Amino acid sequence: MSNDKVEKTIPQTQAMFDNYGKLNGDNDILHYDDAFAKERGFRGTLGHGLMYTGYVCDLAAKKYGKDWFYRGRLKVKYVRPVCPGDKLVVTIEPDGAAKCQSQFDTTLVGTASLA
Amino acid sequence: MTRPSDVKPREGDQPASLYKDWKVGAEFPPLPFTVTPDIVKEYMSVVDADPKNYVIDGRQAAPPNTLFVYMMAVMYRLYPPQQGGIMLGNTVEFHSPIWADEDTEVIGSGRVTDKYEKKGRKIICYDVDFKRPDGTMIMSVNHMSAFPE
Repeated sequence: MSNDKVEKTIPQTQAMFDNYGKLNGDNDILHYDDAFAKERGFRGTLGHGLMYTGYVCDLAAKKYGKDWFYRGRLKVKYVRPVCPGDKLVVTIEPDGAAKCQSQFDTTLVGTASLA
Repeated sequence: MTRPSDVKPREGDQPASLYKDWKVGAEFPPLPFTVTPDIVKEYMSVVDADPKNYVIDGRQAAPPNTLFVYMMAVMYRLYPPQQGGIMLGNTVEFHSPIWADEDTEVIGSGRVTDKYEKKGRKIICYDVDFKRPDGTMIMSVNHMSAFPE
């Protein structure tokens, strides 16, 4: 287990949303139809929440190692959308506080810990 | 191999469940599926996963969150999806690994835990459990989404 802050930056693209949706079978047009998303008041199509939750999980696995597979606990809230063009910085602090931050806003907050 | 798209009803393909249709306590029918090394590899590519983070005692494990891509399929089998759903939150617990180099038989199940309206949003909460056929728990999730209708 590492007590260091772990972080990575992942620029978001529509192709990434499409590839995630191709795997999980998600056909919700909020992820694909820019005009529909903007009609709903968003900056553009929305990234899949579970896609960038996967980014957090990757850092949690790095932080907690083997224990993460047996007693990992992740609690996240999606507070703002992620859209194509966002430069998403994913962070887990030493105390387990997790965050995704774009150049526009904080998009995810939560905690990654061990039970 | 079970691709999530093989078992997940697609938004817009059939009449959607509406907020009024959801019943707290309703159980989702069990969903058996197989996670294969190909699925694990594809999942790792779409979530930018570093394989070095998933080595247990020298063996390559899968990201335990690979099962995320099957989560909504479990719920949607009882309540076909509507367009425009917004994911609000998840609480996830991991209990045992799955491996990157072998097929894993999994059974997903779950239940509706809550529904309420708040600030004009129609909110649904549900649990999903993923277990091996012998009952070994792999991952459990409590999920919250808002739907437009």
